[in-house]
Amino acid sequence: MKSWRRSRNLLLVSALSLAVALTGCESAAISTSPSPSASAKPPEATKAPEGGGQAGAQTIPTDFKQSPFLDGKNLAAVKERLPSDFKITNEIPSSQMKYEIGTYGGVMRTVTSAPNWDADVFVMNNEPLLNTPGILGEEITGNVLKGYKMSDDQKTISFEMRKGLKWSDGKPVTTEDVRFTVEDVLNNPELTPIFPVWLRSGGVAEGAPLKLEVTDEYNFKISFDRPYGGILIRLAIQGWRGYTELVKPAHYLKQFHKKYTPLEKLEPAIKEAGFQPGEWVNLFNDKDITNWELANQKAVGFPVLYPWVMTKYTENMASYERNPYYFKVDTAGNQLPYIDRIQSTLVQDIEMVGLKTIAGEVDFSRESAALVKMPLYKENEKSGYKALLANMHVTPTDIYLNQTFDDPAWQKVVQDVRFRQALNLALNRKEIIDTIYYGFAKPGTIEDPAFDLTKANQLLDDMGLKKGPDGKRLGPDGKVFTIPFEVGAQAPDIVPMTQLVVEMWKQLGLNVTMKTIDQTLYTTRREANQLQASMIWTHTPLWYMGDWGTANWGTLWDKWRTTGGKEGKEPPADVKKLYTLIDNAAAANPTDAKKIIEQVKQEMKDKVYYFIPISEVKQPLIVNAKLRNIPSDSSFAIAANFSGEQFFFGK
Amino acid sequence: MLNYISYRVLQLIPLLIAISMIVFVIIQLPPGDFLTTYIAQLKLAGNAVSESTILNLQAEYGLDKSMYMQYFIWLKNIILHGDLGRSFQWNQPVADVIGPRLALTVVISLISLVFVWAVAIPIGIYSATHQYSVFDYIFTFIGFIGLAVPGFLIALILVYFIFVQTGVSITGLFSPEFVDAPWNAAKIMNMLPRLILPVIVIGMSGTASLIRVTRGMLLDELSKQYVITARAKGVAERKLLFKYPVRMAINPLISTIGWTLPALISGEAIVSIVLNLQTTGPMLLKALMFQDMYLTGSFLLILSVMTVIGTLLSDILLAAVDPRIRFGGVSE
Repeated sequence: MKSWRRSRNLLLVSALSLAVALTGCESAAISTSPSPSASAKPPEATKAPEGGGQAGAQTIPTDFKQSPFLDGKNLAAVKERLPSDFKITNEIPSSQMKYEIGTYGGVMRTVTSAPNWDADVFVMNNEPLLNTPGILGEEITGNVLKGYKMSDDQKTISFEMRKGLKWSDGKPVTTEDVRFTVEDVLNNPELTPIFPVWLRSGGVAEGAPLKLEVTDEYNFKISFDRPYGGILIRLAIQGWRGYTELVKPAHYLKQFHKKYTPLEKLEPAIKEAGFQPGEWVNLFNDKDITNWELANQKAVGFPVLYPWVMTKYTENMASYERNPYYFKVDTAGNQLPYIDRIQSTLVQDIEMVGLKTIAGEVDFSRESAALVKMPLYKENEKSGYKALLANMHVTPTDIYLNQTFDDPAWQKVVQDVRFRQALNLALNRKEIIDTIYYGFAKPGTIEDPAFDLTKANQLLDDMGLKKGPDGKRLGPDGKVFTIPFEVGAQAPDIVPMTQLVVEMWKQLGLNVTMKTIDQTLYTTRREANQLQASMIWTHTPLWYMGDWGTANWGTLWDKWRTTGGKEGKEPPADVKKLYTLIDNAAAANPTDAKKIIEQVKQEMKDKVYYFIPISEVKQPLIVNAKLRNIPSDSSFAIAANFSGEQFFFGK
Repeated sequence: MLNYISYRVLQLIPLLIAISMIVFVIIQLPPGDFLTTYIAQLKLAGNAVSESTILNLQAEYGLDKSMYMQYFIWLKNIILHGDLGRSFQWNQPVADVIGPRLALTVVISLISLVFVWAVAIPIGIYSATHQYSVFDYIFTFIGFIGLAVPGFLIALILVYFIFVQTGVSITGLFSPEFVDAPWNAAKIMNMLPRLILPVIVIGMSGTASLIRVTRGMLLDELSKQYVITARAKGVAERKLLFKYPVRMAINPLISTIGWTLPALISGEAIVSIVLNLQTTGPMLLKALMFQDMYLTGSFLLILSVMTVIGTLLSDILLAAVDPRIRFGGVSE
C-alpha cells in the first residue's frame, strides 16, 4: 500500500552537478517545434532540441507514420491528427541517452499496490505545459505549449499554443481552454475557494493572483504585479504539475459547469454521482480529471493530451491505449508513443510487486523498486528483465531536531549552532553508506562531512553540557539531555538509519532514544509541533523543489512564514534571512534561482539547520531486457519514467 | 418456537444500534483522518497541496461536520437508502467496492469450509476410534503443526518453493489473460487449479482444530453408557459409531455457524495478501490503514451483523436439534 509514499523515496543527485551548468536561454522564445513555415527552411541548429538524435543537426520530418495499431480505425490521416506545430520529442538530453528511432507495438506491463494510482504510469503519462529535458531544470522548452517569451521585467509571459493540437477525442485545443480554466475554474470562488499560491505573484501567499490576457486563438499572456521568473520551472516540473493546471478540456467540462449548463439540468447528473442536490461543485470536481487523477478509474472517457489514454479499469487492472492525437513525433516522423498499450496490474501488497518483478511479469518498475532488494533482482535477471541503477531525485534521509519544540531547555541547546555542529561532526558518514546503502551513496556535500568525535565533544563541553555521574550530559535544567527520535517507516532506510545515528550520538554522552510510529501519527504529531527529533527525505537535489525541510526543524517558525505571521512564532533573524533566500529563489528565473540556491547552501553549511549526511544514492530501475531508449545511469531514475513515450521493444 | 425466534430477533435491534455506534467511534479513534493521510502523501511526493484543495475535499467528504453529524448521516443513508457511504480511497460507493470482491471471497471460503469438514471429520473419527495408534499420532502431529504455524507463513513458504522449483509465481487466482476476462467456463477452469493453494492454506488451521474437537467429543461419547449398552447388545461397530456418537460429536459445527458466517465474507486477510487474492480481507486491512472511514465502518458493520445473524441461526438450529436447550425464559 505504501508505494506512493515510498515512491519518491530514496533518490538523490549531486546538488552540485545541477547547479553547475547554466544555460542562458531563459528570456528567449523557446520552442521544440518547427515554426509553421519550418518545413521550407532548415531550423536554427542552435535552438534544436536535445535528444532528437543526431546532435546538432536536427531534421524536421515532413512525412509521418503511425502505428499499425491505428490502421483501420476510421481515423483521419496521421498528418491531419498531428498539430502543424507538432513537437519533436526531447525528454532526455543527448548526454544522458542515445536516441534510437523505434518500432511500433507491444504492451508495457506495470504493477502498483495502490488503487487508482500507479506512479510509474503517472510519470510516464503526465504532460507538463513546458518541460525541462532530463528534469534537470537547466533548460526550459515547450511541451504542451509550443513556446514562451518572458518579458524583461519578468512580470509578463507570452505563450504560444500548438496550432492544430487536439484532445484525445479529436476536438481542438485552443486559448478557450485556457480562458475557461483561469476564468471559470481558478477564478470561481466556489470551485477554488483559495487561489493557489504558486499562481500568485512571486509564488507567495500575499502576492496578487495571475492575470490572463487572451490574444487570439493560439496566443495568450499571463502577468503578475511583481517579478516571477520562477513560474517557468513551476509550469515545467516543480510539484510534478501537468497541463491541467492551465488547460482543461472546456468543450467537455462546460456540460458540468453551472455557468454553461443550468443547475436544473445538472441535478440528474449530481444525483447520479451520489451528491446532495445543488452540489454542482462536487459534480464538477468529480468530472474534472486533473493530472494527479490520470490513473483514477474516473479518467475513462475524459479527453486528455497524454500519450496513452485510459480505456478500462477493473478492480485488478487498468488498461491504457495509445492516444491517436498525441502531439509528439521522432525525427523520422513516427508519431509517438512507440508502445501501443499499457497494462497496470493492481496487487494487494508492495511485496507482491517484488515477486512479480523477479518472475519477469513486469516491464517497467521504478516506484516500488528498492535498493535493499537489488541482490534479489540481480539473481533473477534470467526472467527477462534488467535491474539498472540510476540516481535518486530526493535525499535519502535527513535528520531534524525541532528547534521550536516547546521546552526551554531543549530550545536553548538545539538553537545553539555549536550543538548542531557537534552532532554533525559525530556522524560517521562512511559507516552509514557502507551499512545501509551498500556503498551506493556519497557523503553529503552541503555540510562539512568530517568525522571528529574529539572536536565534537569539545564543542559540547564549551557549551557547558556537563556530564553527570553516569557519564550522560545534563541539559541547562540539570536533567539528562535526551534526544527522542520518533520516525515513521516511509522508506525502507529510515528505521535502520535512525538506529545508526542513535548509536553515533550516544558516543557524545547524549541520551538518544528512538521510537517507530505510524506514518499518519507522524504527520499529525509533526503538525502539532510535538516531534522533537525525526528523519525524512527532502527534494534538495532538485534545485527547484527544495523546501529545505523548514517544516521539520522549525515547525512554529515555518507556520509563522506560511501564514504571513498570523500563526506560529516569529523566527530569529538568521532564520528569517534563510526564508527570504528561499522565497527569492522561488520567484527568480532559473539562472538567478540557482545562484540564490548556492547562498542557501552556504547558510546551511554555516548554521547546520538540519543534517543531510548522505547524497547521490542509487535507485534501482527494472526494465524489460528488450526495452530500448532507456536513459543512462547518469540520469535520474524518475527522468527515465518521464520519457516513457520514447520506449520501444527491440528485437 | 416462533415466540422464541421473534423474541431473539427483537433483541437484535438495540444490539445492532450499539454495534454501529461502537464501530463508528472505533474507526474515528486514530489521530487524523483519511485526508491527513492523503495530503501527507502528496506532500511527501513533493506536490504542493493548496488550501483550497483541502477545503474542497473536506466539504466533499463531509469531514468538516461534527462526529455526531457524520454518524447520523451515515446511519440515515444506510437505513433509508441502503447507501453505505463513499470510499475515500477508491472514490466510489462502498457497495461498488465491496460487491465484486464478495463473490470471490464467498467462493474461496465455502470451498475451504467444505475442505475443512471433508478432511477433519473423517480424520477426527479415525483418531478417536483408533486412539493412540500410529496414524492417530501422525495426524495429531500434523494437526498441531497446522494449528501452531500461521497461515501466512505456510503461504509464504509454499509460494517461495513453487517459485524456486518451477519459476511460476503464484500471484493471484487467474493467469494474466483471464484477469480481466468476463466470467465464463474457461475462466472458472483457469481459476480452479489456482484455488487449491489458498484453500489448503486457509483450511489448514481450521482443519487442525476441528480434528482435535471431533476427536475429543467422540472420545467422550464413546465412553458413555449408551454406547457400551449398544455394543453389549451386539450392534455392528460401524452402525454403532455413526448412529449416535458421531452425530453428537459434530455438534460444534452447528454451534459455530455464528462465527462461520462472518468468516465467509472476511476471508483470511493476511493469507490473501501473501497470495494476492482479490478478496475482501486485504481490502479491509488497507481501508483501516488509510482510515477510509465509510468503507471500514460498513465492512465492520456487515461483519457484526453477520455474526449476530449467525449466532441467531446457531441458536435456532441448536434449539431444534437438541431439546435440552432451554428457550431462555420465553414460554412456548
